[in-house]
Amino acid sequence: MIKEDRRKMVEMQGVYKFFGTLKALNNVSLDIYDGEKVVIVGPSGSGKSTLLRSINKLEEIDAGSIIVDGFEINDPATNINKVREEVGMVFQQFNVFPHKSVLENLTLAQIVVRKRSKAEALEIARKLLKKVGILDKADNKPHKLSGGQQQRVAIARALAMQPKLMLFDEPTSALDPEMIGEVLDVMVTLAKEGMTMIVVTHEMGFAREVADRVIFMDEGRILETGTPEHFFSNPQHERTKQFMSQIL
Amino acid sequence: MAEIKPKPKASEQPKKVTIDIGDGVAIPSKEDVGLFTAWRVAFFGAIGIIVFLALFKPDPYLKIMRFVPDGILVTFQVTVESILLALVLGLFTGLGRVSKNRFINGIASLYVEVIRGIPLLVQLFYIYFALGRIVKLPPITSAVFAMAICYGAYMGEIFRAGITSIPPGQTEAARSLGMTSSQSMYHVILPQAFKTILPPVGNEFVALLKDSSLVSILAVSDLLRRGREFASETFTYFETYTTVALVYLIITLFLSKLISIMEERIND
Ligand SMILES: Nc1ncnc2c1ncn2[C@@H]1O[C@H](COP(=O)(O)OP(=O)(O)OP(=O)(O)O)[C@@H](O)[C@H]1O
Ligand SMILES: [Mg+2]
Repeated sequence: MIKEDRRKMVEMQGVYKFFGTLKALNNVSLDIYDGEKVVIVGPSGSGKSTLLRSINKLEEIDAGSIIVDGFEINDPATNINKVREEVGMVFQQFNVFPHKSVLENLTLAQIVVRKRSKAEALEIARKLLKKVGILDKADNKPHKLSGGQQQRVAIARALAMQPKLMLFDEPTSALDPEMIGEVLDVMVTLAKEGMTMIVVTHEMGFAREVADRVIFMDEGRILETGTPEHFFSNPQHERTKQFMSQIL
Repeated sequence: MAEIKPKPKASEQPKKVTIDIGDGVAIPSKEDVGLFTAWRVAFFGAIGIIVFLALFKPDPYLKIMRFVPDGILVTFQVTVESILLALVLGLFTGLGRVSKNRFINGIASLYVEVIRGIPLLVQLFYIYFALGRIVKLPPITSAVFAMAICYGAYMGEIFRAGITSIPPGQTEAARSLGMTSSQSMYHVILPQAFKTILPPVGNEFVALLKDSSLVSILAVSDLLRRGREFASETFTYFETYTTVALVYLIITLFLSKLISIMEERIND
């Protein structure tokens, strides 16, 4: 299904990350191709967030190499800010900027980082707010919005930078159940448009709908990789079976 | 062994942080009914006494009240200039204290430690005369520098606390969008820290106003010094210092009220 001649967006080779003596990432190697959608699952503490955060260097790794969009991000010569411009991230806790209006949340980095004019940034922001269905909230402060709406602001804020890759770290796990759908819908649309996405989530319905590959992590390692179908029907490892039975 | 831990709900936002440094005056708040009344009694009582004394014992009280206003202006000038300078110093000190750069962090921490370990009056003398050796500045300028250097250290701690009170997720979000650390500090962290910082800064303002009476020793004609000048000529020590104390009291109570109103506005 994945053609080997496709461009690699992320190449991780033998990555280790320690917190003290704890191996949060234990010899992880992983390639993500252009346009690919990868879902990462695994028990709490298995290193999913650490893996995701090491891709935009929010977490600095201790050994191995990570090439993102052609740049070795742990090379001191690489300007990490340039790489981050191309890599959007969505957090479990939304992390919208509470002192800025919804619109300003979307325009800030466009203006400061991408050096767009205010008018251009606003146009892009409005278009994206419309796309995620909250254009009517444009002038509100985030605390007036529901969790689902805040998370959609956060997604739109990342998209406003027009990234080549989007990272999602459990984007729906802090949401009340009735709001999960509205956020997943936005993500599904994004996936269908061809965005390269790495998503940590336990929403297996989402995985089944969009994922090219599912990765199961355990104790800092990638234990098993396969299609969503593979995980539903015949997971290989005992740990994977146990885990799948718990989240389904 | 696989387990999914319950995730915190979005509604469980981090608790609001307040920084309390108690060297100003008690800032009255609506909930604090007892203090609110105490504020009224003190404020209107002080005004009442002043008016009463001026009306029924114009000699010497009215004379004193005619003599000291110049000093009030100087007290305000020293206070406002010192606080502005202290804010700038405090901002850089606070940034230094949260900096990952060991050298910058070390300098900022050393500044805070040294200043906090020396009594204000000693610092005033020291900086005043040390500056006097290098440059010839008007007494009031030297006094402002001395006050600002001292209060800058305290301001630095307020800024540091304000900055660290912002959840790290804010910085991470900003950095993940490609902002540099200074851009995220300037556009994301400081504007949010401002809210937390404002009340203790207001408190420091009042504290500084009171401490500014110390500059009267340095040939600066502030409120206290004007009082001393008047008293030593007329030998009305008791009457003069009664008036001076009442004037300080009215000013600080008025300012603390103003600050609490400002706080309420900002928290809306
Ligand atoms: N900053 C940190 N300091 C110390 N230990 C950490 C830190 N961040 C993560 N860890 C530890 O590293 C391990 C992997 O954490 P990580 O957050 O990547 O797990 P996760 O798979 O995302 O788990 P969850 O499902 O709970 O989000 C855990 O044991 C965690 O306690
Ligand atoms: Mg995690």
